[in-house]
Amino acid sequence: MNKTVLLLRTLLLSTSSVNLLKHSKDKKKKRRVILAYVGLFCLYGMLVGYSFAICLGYSVYGLTDSIPALCAVTISALAMIFTFFKVNGYLLNFKEYDMIMSLPFQPSTVAGCKFLYMYIKSLPWYLSISISMLAGYGVFAKPPVGTCIIWLILSLFIPVIPSLFASLLGFIIAKLSVGFKHKKAMQTILSLIFVLFCFSLRYIIEAFFRNGKIRETLESMSGSIKQAGKIYPPIQWFSETIVDGKISGGLLLAGVSILLFSLVFFYVGRSYRKINSALQSHRAKSDYRMTRQKSRSVIHAIVFKEFKRMTGSVVYMTNGAIGVIMAVLLGVITLIIGFNKVIAIVTNGAPVDGKMLQPAIPFVVYFLVGMMSTPAFTPSLEGKNYWIVRSLPIKKETLYRGKMLFNLYLTVPVMIFSVLCLCISAKVPRTETILDVILGIMLCCFSTAWGCACGVKHMRLDWENEVEVIKQGAAVALYMLPNMLVVMALVVLVVFLGLRMDRRVLSLIFIGITALLSLLSYLRVMALAKKE
Amino acid sequence: MLQITDYSKSYGGDKKAADHVTLSVNKGDIYGFIGHNGAGKSTTIRAVVGVLDFEEGEIFIDGHSVKDEPMACKEVTAYIPDNPDLYENLTGIQYLNFVADVFKISAAEREERIRKYAQAFEITGALGDLISSYSHGMKQKVAIISALIHEPKLMVLDEPFVGLDPKATFQLKEIMHEMCEKGSAIFFSTHVLDVAEKLCNKVAIIRQGRIVASGTIEEITEGHSLEETFLEAENE
Repeated sequence: MNKTVLLLRTLLLSTSSVNLLKHSKDKKKKRRVILAYVGLFCLYGMLVGYSFAICLGYSVYGLTDSIPALCAVTISALAMIFTFFKVNGYLLNFKEYDMIMSLPFQPSTVAGCKFLYMYIKSLPWYLSISISMLAGYGVFAKPPVGTCIIWLILSLFIPVIPSLFASLLGFIIAKLSVGFKHKKAMQTILSLIFVLFCFSLRYIIEAFFRNGKIRETLESMSGSIKQAGKIYPPIQWFSETIVDGKISGGLLLAGVSILLFSLVFFYVGRSYRKINSALQSHRAKSDYRMTRQKSRSVIHAIVFKEFKRMTGSVVYMTNGAIGVIMAVLLGVITLIIGFNKVIAIVTNGAPVDGKMLQPAIPFVVYFLVGMMSTPAFTPSLEGKNYWIVRSLPIKKETLYRGKMLFNLYLTVPVMIFSVLCLCISAKVPRTETILDVILGIMLCCFSTAWGCACGVKHMRLDWENEVEVIKQGAAVALYMLPNMLVVMALVVLVVFLGLRMDRRVLSLIFIGITALLSLLSYLRVMALAKKE
Repeated sequence: MLQITDYSKSYGGDKKAADHVTLSVNKGDIYGFIGHNGAGKSTTIRAVVGVLDFEEGEIFIDGHSVKDEPMACKEVTAYIPDNPDLYENLTGIQYLNFVADVFKISAAEREERIRKYAQAFEITGALGDLISSYSHGMKQKVAIISALIHEPKLMVLDEPFVGLDPKATFQLKEIMHEMCEKGSAIFFSTHVLDVAEKLCNKVAIIRQGRIVASGTIEEITEGHSLEETFLEAENE
């Protein structure tokens, strides 16, 4: 068997639950795997439904021809973000590095296999979007069967180039970071800068075109997507192949993907060993002198442990802290440029009354702050260290309270700061501001307790790489996706209700509902802790 | 101090990893638990320290049931696993403080104990470094210090001498004796029969999950070496 195939197969097998289903005798474990698959398929189903609904919307407004480009844009963006978050932990700085590199594999083979592994693992997400959009496009455009087959084949190539770009960038960031004394901190900062850049890309593109006075083109979403195709040709190649039947576009997409893959991994392979060695080496001063020690309560000892766990991992930091950093930035930017200007930017200049959006302020901040709840993955992150807390006299309830408290320390101050910034800028009256802050804190409590409930219920300790639980865990998926969709719906609902009823009463109702949900989630965590 | 009665554990299949294990460790005992790989030593030890659930039998520590009063048992027990996976993102001193906080050890007491044991294991200078930078032996030393920090009544160790340098091995043996003189009990698994013979006053031999021999060294060996007795028990 070809070495690349052998390594790739082994990598997939080593993290595959299918292997566990086949060979494990533990029925409880098997049941968990099956439930995790059911949950995952539900999420794929949600994504399929969402993507199909978007296609329907496009077709209703006569924009069916934009669907292929939309599909390519969505998959490309997702592939770039997914891959970038996984580079550190999968492509670089992975646990089994010593074992694999001691075997007769070329560094470029190892790097290439790791990339393909990341790609294959994310493929179901990409295909969920692609197939549902193909269905949406098929219903209205009625393309020939051949075009549908080409769509499916090219769907496999669409994520390759953005994934390669994200890998290369992650690699370059690591390469730059290894020269620094605090390389992990440097890597985290550079990664966060890139992620923030990605999130603000839309506005940067808009600003760029506004200067070029072609704002008209961007006034519709369809125009923006077509514009994206000009900046990033693979989108256009895919769209042309499907809509205009230009096979050359498809060939170009496949050819360039394969060529770039070879080039990138030829380059990465050259310094792969050097960078991984540098990332895995540790600076040891060995000059510690015993000084006065401090004592903490058990719960704060756990909080401190969680804090060190977060700061010690680039993957944890970039995933766990991105939401709060964005919330702080939102607060600061709003204070500087003004609430109405921010709304104008976000809504693309739509005539929205700022006052109308005021009741949604806590939910808007929560959309960012609640993007990730650390207790959704920290129970699983205990992994092989789980023996420590299990053998120590720490009640599981106390352990999870500590994990939740850490998340509250992380989110509540940011929530208060950002809500206050937005309220001050929007000139929200004092009483409403206080209510908004309370609602914000309640939302943080809900996010923490609900995240922890998901984290404990779907705890997975047998991971080989922390990315598996931080990025791909069932607990995180179950927390994150419904949470984001519900918040978006709540923003709309609160604006709608705000126009029809007293703002203070509305805030009080939401505070009550959120407090109740938080309490229920907290009780669920405690019940799960007792049961575990 | 430790009473295991009819303890059994299976991992889903028909075969039992531990099969009706019964043994008793008293105050002042250094009790060796010997057996070949996969005999059921770690399965038993992990159940004793409350890391592994079990269906059959009872385990009591200092009169408390591991099943019904796990917290009371853990308060008086210290455990060192065979492969000390510690929190890699903490420094050694941060990890020791974490354990001391859990056992509510005062700042002055923990300082004194950390100083004493860190000096004995010659690891003081490295305590400010991240655990991820430690060798296996250094991690083992930190795990041992963390186990000693609350002066446990029962210390449970799984292959404690693996990875330790000769001086640290000697220090650990000395500490074990010191603890037993103070009235604590030690229960540890090992492959090194010479160590067990010289260090322990009692041993148990486990084979395929069953205890095939247990008692004082003199009772078990009946004038032969422990190695001979062990091999004989294995071949039965």
